[in-house]
Amino acid sequence: MAARGRCPECGSGSLVEDAHYAQQQLVCAACGCVLSEGLLTTTYTDEEHLREVAYSQSTGQKEQLSRCLQRGIRRVQDLCKVLKLPAAFEETAVSYFQRALELPAFHLVSLEKKELLGGCCVLVTCRQRRWPLTMGTVCSLLYAKQELFASVFLSLQRELGLSVPALSLADLVTTHLSSFRLVQPNANIPAPFLEDKEQLVARTMAIVELASDTWLVTGRHPVPVVTAAAFLAWQSLRPGPRLSCPLARFCRLAGVELPPPAQLRLKELLEILLAMASQLSWLRGFCLDKKTVVKHIGDLLQHRLFLLKRAFSQQDTGLGMGSVSQECQGSGLPSSPAVPQQQGCPWAGQQQQRGTLRPLLPPCLLHPRKRLRAAAPSAASAALTGDEPISDSEIEQYLRSPEEIRAFRRAKAWS
Amino acid sequence: FKDDFSTSPHLFIPMSPYDLELPIQASSQLSQSKELHTDFSSVDLSFLPDVTQDNKEQNLSEDGQETQKELDGSLSSKEDSGVFMDESSLSHPGAAQPSPETPGVCPPLTPMTPITPTTSASESSGIVPQLQNIVSTVNLACKLDLKNIALHARNAEYNPKRFAAVIMRIREPRTTALIFSSGKMVCTGAKSEEQSRLAARKYARVVQKLGFPAKFLDFKIQNMVGSCDVRFPIRLESLVLTHQQFSSYEPELFPGLVYRMVKPRIVLLIFVSGKVVLTGAKDRSEIYEAFENIYPILRGFKKPS
Repeated sequence: MAARGRCPECGSGSLVEDAHYAQQQLVCAACGCVLSEGLLTTTYTDEEHLREVAYSQSTGQKEQLSRCLQRGIRRVQDLCKVLKLPAAFEETAVSYFQRALELPAFHLVSLEKKELLGGCCVLVTCRQRRWPLTMGTVCSLLYAKQELFASVFLSLQRELGLSVPALSLADLVTTHLSSFRLVQPNANIPAPFLEDKEQLVARTMAIVELASDTWLVTGRHPVPVVTAAAFLAWQSLRPGPRLSCPLARFCRLAGVELPPPAQLRLKELLEILLAMASQLSWLRGFCLDKKTVVKHIGDLLQHRLFLLKRAFSQQDTGLGMGSVSQECQGSGLPSSPAVPQQQGCPWAGQQQQRGTLRPLLPPCLLHPRKRLRAAAPSAASAALTGDEPISDSEIEQYLRSPEEIRAFRRAKAWS
Repeated sequence: FKDDFSTSPHLFIPMSPYDLELPIQASSQLSQSKELHTDFSSVDLSFLPDVTQDNKEQNLSEDGQETQKELDGSLSSKEDSGVFMDESSLSHPGAAQPSPETPGVCPPLTPMTPITPTTSASESSGIVPQLQNIVSTVNLACKLDLKNIALHARNAEYNPKRFAAVIMRIREPRTTALIFSSGKMVCTGAKSEEQSRLAARKYARVVQKLGFPAKFLDFKIQNMVGSCDVRFPIRLESLVLTHQQFSSYEPELFPGLVYRMVKPRIVLLIFVSGKVVLTGAKDRSEIYEAFENIYPILRGFKKPS
């Protein structure tokens, strides 16, 4: 600040700004009179001459985080705490969030999307560290719409160039089952329904692996498969009192919600198990149905590799593919001695032995929904050049006649 | 991607793809084709750790080797075409940036004639993707009064509160057009480029008959969608492991795998049933080329059980 004015005592113009300790003082150089000191307040005239530094030009903006970023970081941290994630996850998620928010793609989006961005960063971190967190869980914690979450997740993946590994089913089983109330001693649950967690997890994993081998998992949401598998595992560990309990009641007892596709997955799993049971020599005598096959799940799982080979014809719907026969019995899995014999069998021979065995295919191929297939473009349309003459009559069919126009005007459809 | 094939020393020693072919072909002749195929179809990739940068390249080159070996196995008698397919499958995973030491390895399947797909390699799929939808734009080069059009045309709908264009439909070829007041028009629903052009001309004629001096400028195909069926189920979870750079498979969001091919720049939706949808093409040949590129990869995931 430039010194101005004159000293009131001696009238000299040489005023100096000096600091007495830390207190600013305006002092006359001639007589030492202190004109003003340590102004705590400024007068209006003084303020006018102050040069302001805009916040955007100061360094404060770079040092401080914006309020939006602070709020977002806090949300990410809260989410990590709620999900009881390890501390390292929190740091990674926060760093992803900060990086993402700086990008123009996320800086200017709606607040709703910014909230979801935090959840997406947590999800990506968990996936990269093999922590099985489902999108459903994050969506329910954030009260988010699934479609919006999906779009934010995919754009985050694209913008930051992150590689997000797939959800591991084995880990998902472990985590999902630990949230079941049936594995902890609980007064509300009748004794025959309680189950040991280790056994339940092991058997559920085996059933989930069976499901994934038989194409029940690819392309489907993972949680209903795990729920259905857990139900079958639980029933088979003690069939007596549990066979009469339906899936819905099981989910209520376990304290988890029943996802709608789980019933269908259950049906599909039971079909697979029944087909396998028909190949087990000591079960052939019995007439098994969907209820009773549950009792034998233990045996079926133990011999599942062998049974899968025998129960399902091994060709891959070789419709018109001549190379199919080369690939049958391709997988040299170690199992019972009956298998190597079959490897030598020609495909035609197998068909004779097994008769009508269903092929091992995804359910969408086994039960194709009837769909009107548009015919392949006919020769006439193939010869189209795009420059054909267009007749007037054809165009006129699309124009309204004057009576129609009058009628519409009267109806005031365009008001 | 440059160092795709040279950063996995414990997989194979040669540094350029040309050298790769020799040791592998030698091994394929020694062993049975079936066994070679068997070995790889039983490989369970689920043990692979989280894919870091190093692993990614390793996985890519592993896959390049596997695909190669399988193709070699099935083509043990045809060395020339085997080499051919090796090149195309090799060049594909590293297709983002062709490495400098292999200047000659461009996918040789780029067709010259736009209509028929090339069947140069004897192991071509024999499947031709069908075009399902063509989106094109044209400039009518005159300002239009949309209310007027909607009043005078039978096949038009116009709801300015919902969307700022007239939606017009014609029966032959069965298409829909969005006509904007600036005179620009978008035509969708045609099954071939010629049909799209014919349809766009018909819409322009309708607009002309309604009294506007419509022209037909800058007709351009913006997007083409094709689909086909490879006729065998596909293990999407394995495909996403081996082609992580290009694939996105989130069963919680969408049942199909989204594969973003770099050359040609096409997006493919691959489903477990074996149906493939290809989109993002400006020209028919791109769809055919993309399918010929993806077919050997998908065949690698065709497993008996």
